[in-house]
Amino acid sequence: MPAASQADVDGRRPPMGAVEQSLIREGLRYALALRLIVVALSSTASLLLTEAPRQGTTVAIVVGLNGWNLCYRRGMLRGLPRRWVPADVAVMCALCLTQLWTVRSDPRGGGTWVLVAMAITLVTYAWQLPGPALAAATAPIIAAHYLGTMIADPGGWLVNETVEVWTAAEVALSWALYRFVRRSARAADRIVERGKEMRHAAAVAAARRADEREYLAALHDTASATLLMIGNGVVRQREPWLGEQARRDLREIGRSDAAQRGELDLIELLREVSRPITAGGHSPLRVSWRTPDSLALPAIDAVSLSRAAREALTNVVRHAGVDHAEIRVRRDAAAVTVEVVDEGSGFDPARVAPGRYGVTRSLRERMARRGGTAHIVSSPGLGTTVTLSCPLPVPDVAGDERLIGASFQRGLRRAVVVVTLAILLFLDLPHLLAGQEAYTHVGVQYAAWAGLLVATLVAAVAAWRDRPLGTARWWLLALVLACSVVATVTVRPEYRLGPTHWSEGDAGWPIVLIMLDSRVAVFAAVLAAQYLLTFAQAAAEGQAALSIAGVVNATWLVLAFQLAIAMIAAVLRGLAASSARVLRAAEQVRTAEEVARQLHRDRERRYADLAATTVPLLEGLADGRLDPGAASVRLECAAEAARMRRLLAQDTTAPDPLAQELRACIELAERNGVSVSFAEYGARPELPPPVRRRLTEPAIAAFATARGKARLTVAGTGDAVTVSVIATCSAPPELPDGDGVHRSTMLDGDRWWIQAVFSPVSGPVKGGGEAVGWRETA
Amino acid sequence: MISMVVVDDHPVVIAGVRAWCALADPPIQVVAWGADVSVAWLAPGAEADVVVLDLQLDVCGPAYGDLKRLVDAGRQVIVYSMRADKETVLNCLDIGAFTYLTKTEGEDHLVAAITAAASDMPYTPPALSGAFGTDDRLHRPRLSPRETEVLLEWFHSESKEMVARRLHLTVHRVSSCLERVRVKYANVGRAAPTKAALVARALQDGLITTDEL
Repeated sequence: MPAASQADVDGRRPPMGAVEQSLIREGLRYALALRLIVVALSSTASLLLTEAPRQGTTVAIVVGLNGWNLCYRRGMLRGLPRRWVPADVAVMCALCLTQLWTVRSDPRGGGTWVLVAMAITLVTYAWQLPGPALAAATAPIIAAHYLGTMIADPGGWLVNETVEVWTAAEVALSWALYRFVRRSARAADRIVERGKEMRHAAAVAAARRADEREYLAALHDTASATLLMIGNGVVRQREPWLGEQARRDLREIGRSDAAQRGELDLIELLREVSRPITAGGHSPLRVSWRTPDSLALPAIDAVSLSRAAREALTNVVRHAGVDHAEIRVRRDAAAVTVEVVDEGSGFDPARVAPGRYGVTRSLRERMARRGGTAHIVSSPGLGTTVTLSCPLPVPDVAGDERLIGASFQRGLRRAVVVVTLAILLFLDLPHLLAGQEAYTHVGVQYAAWAGLLVATLVAAVAAWRDRPLGTARWWLLALVLACSVVATVTVRPEYRLGPTHWSEGDAGWPIVLIMLDSRVAVFAAVLAAQYLLTFAQAAAEGQAALSIAGVVNATWLVLAFQLAIAMIAAVLRGLAASSARVLRAAEQVRTAEEVARQLHRDRERRYADLAATTVPLLEGLADGRLDPGAASVRLECAAEAARMRRLLAQDTTAPDPLAQELRACIELAERNGVSVSFAEYGARPELPPPVRRRLTEPAIAAFATARGKARLTVAGTGDAVTVSVIATCSAPPELPDGDGVHRSTMLDGDRWWIQAVFSPVSGPVKGGGEAVGWRETA
Repeated sequence: MISMVVVDDHPVVIAGVRAWCALADPPIQVVAWGADVSVAWLAPGAEADVVVLDLQLDVCGPAYGDLKRLVDAGRQVIVYSMRADKETVLNCLDIGAFTYLTKTEGEDHLVAAITAAASDMPYTPPALSGAFGTDDRLHRPRLSPRETEVLLEWFHSESKEMVARRLHLTVHRVSSCLERVRVKYANVGRAAPTKAALVARALQDGLITTDEL
């Protein structure tokens, strides 16, 4: 790939971002195309409009050069710069040295096609080569050009040092422009990378939380409830349905891969929910399936759709009066649709009273929660079709696109500011100062120059402040065009379009800057209008400093560069969009992998927590080894249910030291056969260790001697925290108050009720200090 | 005889509820049960005095919609759930559930709650009391410090006698305090027929005055 080898040539920053990589790739493509087109047009135009000293040789050279350019372009795109660039430098040197055959010395020629070919080649080198290589390639070619002109026209018009200096300056400007854009690509990469990391972390965390919630909700409603009710003694003997439930519970606990990557198979789920209905005792329903074999969906969407479909099927059994229904599933780019169709008795939807509970409302509500819809089409005698649809998630790339686009825009605008100022100050001003005799009104020339400078500076300020020009754009444009017109009018006709007519072409630079964020067509039209305005003025007076071919060559030199920038801007806008898509796709893959890995780990951890105690108990109940009526089994189930609840209540995402310490106390108590019911409410402030110790001490002391059942509760109200224990235990030891914690005890029958209350602003503090609470001991 | 319907998808829970109801005095007749809320809408469940509703937590979230429809139809709904977080509890009360019982409280409180629901008497089990006492939402009703105190002590304790002894009150005052709080909660948030009935009854009985609301 060219991008990779280009990176090798550049070779300084090995880890290159996706945006910068695509910039290098696109930049190379664009630079090669530009060179190909400009050289082809300029050389052919010269061939047709002027006569070379050796016409035959020149034709051969022009054909050969354009052929070489094609080969060179292909070679570079294949990524072989080390082989092709030195060869290209040699070809260009040869072209420059053979000027004695190909160009004629003509003061009205303005520039030669060889000069145009050399300039565009060097300018586009800046997009292909790193700094040192660029310098190494530029020097011999410019030297060869200078040498070539001396051979062709010794001491004549062709030999012009300023042309060589200006070419070198152009190369430097082009290189600076490229560096600016590259830098903004890197900035975009960094910003996008940061955003990606944040989104990635958020997505993984969200998936873990959602999975945790789903898993816990399922366990709450299955295993935990089973054990709780057996512990409550509601099942007196072995029952077949209890074994069945225990087996279901075990499946739920062991479900380690069902929701891998947070996705479920909709078809499998649909079959699962329809099974009890189709196998139902009194009125079995036959279901025909018109679905794909499998269809993976985000778990929550799959569950929503399958539950809604179950509701629809239940309705068929109840109201349709038929024994057959059809389920159809299809998926398109935007949504998944499930249809439940029966040919039963149907009903008139308009006649269902609005306040009445109806399956319609329930279905609509269920689907609306997932952003989907439910439609029910039915009429008496003609059956019912329930259509459920759920939208598929669409990746959002607009944000990245804007980000990358803005970054590019900023880099390019600033680069053009630099280029424009350099041209106004170092090229046009010297021409203006040196060519006093060419102007009818020198003052007007200075004013026009100043006007262009002002327009450039206004645009520069906007560029540096990252503000769009808005409507000011059109005022600036009017100013530039006005300056261009008056600058042309005050040039004497015989000097028009020559070097002293500095505004020709160079007035285009402020226009480039002003129109940079417009569409290419608008940009090109405005730019062309400026040139045509100038040419028309010159043509009206009849005389000009240059021949037609000279105008074509001179104009090409500048216009190609200016149009090129418009194209860069357009390429960069497109690049921003495609880079954003590529980045987002890569990110999604990475996130999905990470989520799968994390979920697997989470599930293994949770299973490990339950494997030692809950699983054997449920297995015993499932295969009938354990008698749910036996006192020992009940006790074990009660204890296990309590343990599970606690385990499930743990929020792994937020560490809570007080709850952790209390849980440790409870586990200790349970090992001694105490069944502890635990509940907590209210937000708690962060507590320093001494306060936590004082709050947990009563529980530790009580559980050490407790028997039977105990109750442990925690309440947080404002800044206060209360830990309360009720247990049948020996009298609690006397403990002094302190650290803002106040303790109170009460005996009710054989039950001790011990409360430790922490309130930061009251209560005696250890050491007899002021009652400032925990602040002192923190 | 009080009649009731159980909506729960867990067979062991249904078995447990039926066992407790059979032993209750006066007895409670469980007329229908099932995993789907439709059992509460179809005969014979449609006529039951009380609905015991599992929130049926799944990935789609709690079944607030089902609760809302039952409440709007004037049913006395006891939400009976494994879930005990404050947000869910207060949400259900706001929708207009008669009361909220966590499944761990079922053995001690379910029968009493059903009896209270059948006679429209407020019933606040400890977990609900804890949720009320630590409620810090903006639109919560204004409670007196004494009421908050009673709520929290009832949350921590095992019997109203214990609360009464601890706060040096009579058991009757503890109960009426809890009832007043329940009525204040019925008076805020979403309008529902069951909530209005509770408030009306409390005003009639002189449990609370319009000034207090």
